[in-house]
Amino acid sequence: MRLSRVCARAVLATVAVASAQEPYPSRPITMVAPFPPGGIADLTARPVAAAMEKVLKNPVGVLNKTGAAGAVGMQFVATSKPDGYTLLLALSSISIIPEADKLFGRPPAFTVDQFAPIALISADPTILVVPADKPWKTAAEFVEDAKRRPGQISYSSSGVYGTLHMAMELLSHAAGIKLRHVPYAGGGPALTAVLGGHVDALASGPAVVLPHIKAGKLRALAGWGDKRVVALPEVPTFKELGFPDAEFYIWAGVFAPKGTPEPVLAKLRDTLRAAVNDPDFKGAMEKIETPIVFKQGAEFARFFEADAGRLAEGVRKVGRIETK
Amino acid sequence: MAETLQNLALGFSIALSPVILWYAFVGCVVGTLVGVLPGVGPLAGISLLLPATFGLDATRAIVMLAGIYYGAMYGGSTTSILMRIPGEAASVMTCIDGYAMARKGRAGAALAIAAVGSYVAGTASVVALMLLAPPLASFALRFGPPEYFALLLLGLFVLAYMSSGSMLKALAMAALGLLLGMIGIDQMTGYFRFAYGVVELGDGIGVVPVAVGLFGLAEILATAGLAVPPQVIKPALRELLPTRQEWRESAAPIGRGTVLGFLIGIVPGSAHIISSFVSYAVERKLAKRPQEFGQGAVAGVAGPESANNAATSGAFVPMLALGVPSGPIPAVMLAAMMVHGVSPGPLLIKQQPELFWGFIASMYVGNVVLLILNLPLVGVFVNLLRVPYAILYPSVLAFCILGVYAVNGSVVDVWIMLLMGGLGYLLRKLDFETAPIVLGVVLAPMLEMALRQSLAMSDGQYSIFVARPISATLLGVGLILITLGLQPLVTRGLDWRARLAVAEKGDEHP
Repeated sequence: MRLSRVCARAVLATVAVASAQEPYPSRPITMVAPFPPGGIADLTARPVAAAMEKVLKNPVGVLNKTGAAGAVGMQFVATSKPDGYTLLLALSSISIIPEADKLFGRPPAFTVDQFAPIALISADPTILVVPADKPWKTAAEFVEDAKRRPGQISYSSSGVYGTLHMAMELLSHAAGIKLRHVPYAGGGPALTAVLGGHVDALASGPAVVLPHIKAGKLRALAGWGDKRVVALPEVPTFKELGFPDAEFYIWAGVFAPKGTPEPVLAKLRDTLRAAVNDPDFKGAMEKIETPIVFKQGAEFARFFEADAGRLAEGVRKVGRIETK
Repeated sequence: MAETLQNLALGFSIALSPVILWYAFVGCVVGTLVGVLPGVGPLAGISLLLPATFGLDATRAIVMLAGIYYGAMYGGSTTSILMRIPGEAASVMTCIDGYAMARKGRAGAALAIAAVGSYVAGTASVVALMLLAPPLASFALRFGPPEYFALLLLGLFVLAYMSSGSMLKALAMAALGLLLGMIGIDQMTGYFRFAYGVVELGDGIGVVPVAVGLFGLAEILATAGLAVPPQVIKPALRELLPTRQEWRESAAPIGRGTVLGFLIGIVPGSAHIISSFVSYAVERKLAKRPQEFGQGAVAGVAGPESANNAATSGAFVPMLALGVPSGPIPAVMLAAMMVHGVSPGPLLIKQQPELFWGFIASMYVGNVVLLILNLPLVGVFVNLLRVPYAILYPSVLAFCILGVYAVNGSVVDVWIMLLMGGLGYLLRKLDFETAPIVLGVVLAPMLEMALRQSLAMSDGQYSIFVARPISATLLGVGLILITLGLQPLVTRGLDWRARLAVAEKGDEHP
């Protein structure tokens, strides 16, 4: 027993010495996707990991650590060793969850400043879609009708305080309208609800609704982006329509736990910059119809802060939901 | 019709090409394994293996993933019958009579009937999928929250028929299940309920750890608690096949299970688990000798097993015809299509005929493959029963823990399973049935969500449930059922359930 403990200690000591000297990376890196396989986080994490592997010539594996709308996986990375071997591929929800925790006065699962942002990989603006048989042909008509009938027009979302809910709330606030929220358990069911005509509208990433727009089942009214969506050049942005505060992106970025040494972060930034230019990576992102938007360092930090600010504001505006 | 046949010929030319055949085969084998492993169900299996398909082309990937899906439904019955451990959640009902059959030395027959039932259901529902997908899909879309709520409520009324003992005890267990199902994030407000700071509990209590704990672990504990270990069953080769009588008794349940499962399967939501519960209840209600249910009634295996397989194909209807996910598994498969550059949507059948018809044809082929694979395996699996308990049960326990852990990589799930095992053991000692708990855990979150979504849609008006024709009809049927269920209370006569409970008191625990 004692012998084994001595051995263990010796091994640990060796590992510690080795890790002080070894160049980064010298063992497999884990990229945590806090959502299940097949979701946008997973579908982005896998090509990113594959491209990083090529650049680093070192294995990068994806681990789906799911649960509680991503909180489980994000908490896992927030509390793991800041050595650059555990990374997080996070979506916008990373800044929503701590804010919602605050709202309910519960101990936060993690906070945003437990992470060091490395790079933004993609950013997809949401677009507003309505069933094709609904009367509104333009976003202006939609907003006008919503003003006339406050709380009567309903929309589905991926879940309360979820990204699709936040997008709609930002619009409601910017346009001074009140809509009726019907949350669903995920983006898929939310889309089914709008296709079935059980709700009147949905804010969604363009890729999943494009086939339904093409098939004439849904109509796109406007987008939340800075620019128009490439695949839908005729659909204006809310910015153009005079609602500059209705800006929202479903984005994916890579984070490390706070305290990761700067040389490691620099290496990861360089790696990711090379990775997003990898043709296989570009091909993979094209297939899931997600535009690559790469930002790193200060630029990403600014984007992240602005986005987190908007979302925090959004969560506070929604406040605690009181049900009858 | 001619066009359909032509398309099907195209499909078969794809499905029977050696490469696609190989992927269908691999999918079926992997699916069977996934199903056999306790805890690891089709969702976990597909999720874990999805990344492995990224290198394949779209048709191959989809064919393989679908193989895993329905393969898991075949395989799920194996451990249910042999060891009373649900291989996946939809096999919970199979545990009851399948295991009882195994105790009577009819394990081979139960396995064979489950395989044949699955085959018939699988094949028949592919025919329905092929011919009826577009019209059925638009019907399925009409199921919004109010309709879903009415359907789930109907599922709950079915509980009244599920127990063999006291109805009061069954309802108590269902209530316990519903209460457990309340744990987790409140989907409408984001509030953490009963999570006590454990982030993992935010997702609620999963049905897999509950089912494996209540059935599998409880069984192991109960066996360990016996003064004399039960005799190892040594199945003889000639007893592997079902008797003529058993075939006759399963034919109608297989047919009914198929129709029921397919219809429940097309409704968006994760209703496929419910299909097996409903099928079980229907079979018991229609049976000539309902008292045999729970004691090894062959219809109690044939019906639910067919239903859960048919529900699998039903779930593909909205996915293929409209590109909308009808549950978590089709959602993963849709993601797989997107990864391969196929945008799922209403135009899929027109734009990607090779994919659609190849997929349909491969499901015919896959079902044959599974039958060929599973029938001989009956002989192999049954021999597991020869393993002495001292070796079998510890290894089963290890597999349960591994399987439950693998689903979410969560230790919390393992603890839930262990707690449920203890609870299940206690409840067995007190003569409570545990299946209603599982149904409660499954139904509670869906029921609550659907109710509150409906009220959000109507701004709090309960009239939404009767104003919409589908939900009004379903609620009407439910009302009739509950009236029939309450009838014995009014007439004060002993119905078969009470008589059975009295009879059971005599020969408790042989």
